[in-house]
Amino acid sequence: MASTLSEWKDKQVCVITCDGRSIFGILAGYDQLQNLILKEASERVYSPDADPESVPLGLYVIRGDNVAIISDRDEDLEASTGISSVRAEPLESVVQNVG
Amino acid sequence: SGVSPVSPSVQPSKCTIAISFVGFGIVMLFYSFFKTLVGKEVAVELKNNVVLTGKLHSVDQYLNIKLSDVQVVDKSRYPQLLALKNCFIRGSVVRYIQIPPGEVDTELLQDAARKENAPAAVSSKA
Repeated sequence: MASTLSEWKDKQVCVITCDGRSIFGILAGYDQLQNLILKEASERVYSPDADPESVPLGLYVIRGDNVAIISDRDEDLEASTGISSVRAEPLESVVQNVG
Repeated sequence: SGVSPVSPSVQPSKCTIAISFVGFGIVMLFYSFFKTLVGKEVAVELKNNVVLTGKLHSVDQYLNIKLSDVQVVDKSRYPQLLALKNCFIRGSVVRYIQIPPGEVDTELLQDAARKENAPAAVSSKA
């Protein structure tokens, strides 16, 4: 059973990158290496001291090496959990090749 | 390729998997193993310390994982992940996959792994 991103094509997704960023956008394209094209992308910057800030990015290409998680977006779930206004420590970066 | 005889007390599904384990190269062994776990609840710990629990929806040859009905463990530390529902996790960022102990026949898995690493050795089982 292959794991593909086809079911999320042209849908709103949230991408967590290896350096801990959350990038939201519409998945316009992808390939087997998880290289991604996001339309109307924006980064949501979380901070423990302030409300989240949304930075518009436009058309974005993310190299697959840097992708950790790709998730769909559930508007109702986002509204009920209030994540657009939550304060949080930034995510840690993925540590590759731990000594 | 040799087929290992399996005792009659082993469930049929695990028999089939044992045979297919021996048939594939080492690259496919854990891919085959995870395919048997599709539909089960697993916990995936990532290299950035995030732990996600969910139902294993699918897996591929790179051990990329799709989880459905995801919950983040330690919700207070990672509130930004509260709205995750279905996610694709890149295999390269996974540190551990925790599986329910009843779902895996560890002896069978160890046997299959051992066979892959010593193809020239003759395995004899009564």
